[in-house]
Amino acid sequence: MSGLLSSLDPWAAVAGWSAVTIGFYLVSRQVYRRWPRWWLMPLAVTPALVMLVVLALHETYRDYIGGTGWMIMMLGPATVAFAVPIWEQRALIRSHWPVLALGMVAGSATAIGVSWGMASLLGLDDTLRLSLLPRSISTPFAMEVSADIGGVPDLTAVFVVMTGVLGAALGDLVIAWLPLRSALARGAFLGVGAHGAGTARAHQLGATEGSVAGLVMVLVGLLNVALAPVLAWAVH
Amino acid sequence: MSTRSVSIRLRRAAHRSRLLQVGILIAFWAAGEALVRLTGLPLPGSIVALAAVLVLLARRRLCVSSVRRGANWLLAEMLLFFVPAVLAVLEHREFLGLLGLKVLAVILVGTLSVMAVTALTVELGYRWRMRHERAAVLA
Repeated sequence: MSGLLSSLDPWAAVAGWSAVTIGFYLVSRQVYRRWPRWWLMPLAVTPALVMLVVLALHETYRDYIGGTGWMIMMLGPATVAFAVPIWEQRALIRSHWPVLALGMVAGSATAIGVSWGMASLLGLDDTLRLSLLPRSISTPFAMEVSADIGGVPDLTAVFVVMTGVLGAALGDLVIAWLPLRSALARGAFLGVGAHGAGTARAHQLGATEGSVAGLVMVLVGLLNVALAPVLAWAVH
Repeated sequence: MSTRSVSIRLRRAAHRSRLLQVGILIAFWAAGEALVRLTGLPLPGSIVALAAVLVLLARRRLCVSSVRRGANWLLAEMLLFFVPAVLAVLEHREFLGLLGLKVLAVILVGTLSVMAVTALTVELGYRWRMRHERAAVLA
């Protein structure tokens, strides 16, 4: 069944769906600024509201993504933008790279090990297990790794976003529970554990946390793309 | 108007306009994607572009103030660009039941352990180095 918006011409669909998405995003961002609870996070609230509209208008995912595909495309230039905070924090990075590298290797090993172990324990099938493995790295990397090791890139993209939403929320718990004195540790765990969403949260904690998170997010992604052939060999 | 004065004008405009700076970053990204497609590099185009921008900044071919405002804006609003990706759940209704809860459990436990391990590793490494360096200075 085709709904109201998709019966219009393609440009109207782009304008309509983009306006709905941006509108809900701006409103939920204002609400979150006023009441900063993790369950009010724009990354959780906006998709839920948009989904309600899509279902209420009897539209399909294909209609919706046809109108908003350009936003997913903008993740590319946003990734390029990380060059600026990385450049501006180069002194900090130069003096602490051994510690950051150690954290990234330990974090990646944990991500792969725990995902695989948990997924096997719960009896998830191979496609799901493989698609879950690269979910803690940012979308473009994760989809690349997923394809390399035999997962389903589309599914991985969904898991990456779920990780981001949960990760930004869990980040507050980790900060509350662990006695982290250094901005380096606060930035690093958010970047390694929750990619772009974690980095956005780290930016709210401070400039140093934000750029460390942005840097480790990119480097962990590169590390995983580089390791993908080894990983593919190990799981098959 | 000479080419030199045109380039100065362009640079001034780039320092002021956020929109133009976003345009510059989009151009870098598009060039990265094109390069990856042409050469078959096993890397995302955005990462190749990011590396290129860092190299240009280091070589002083690109001034950081020509992209800073655009970059900060893109990074601040990055969460918006994730929203349409989440809607892909609509294509996978099988996750609405027990299977979804299992996947959620994997993500929850996985993410929490990754975060704890990374945070503790970096924090302990940082404290060890600080103590080590202080000892080296005192000795």
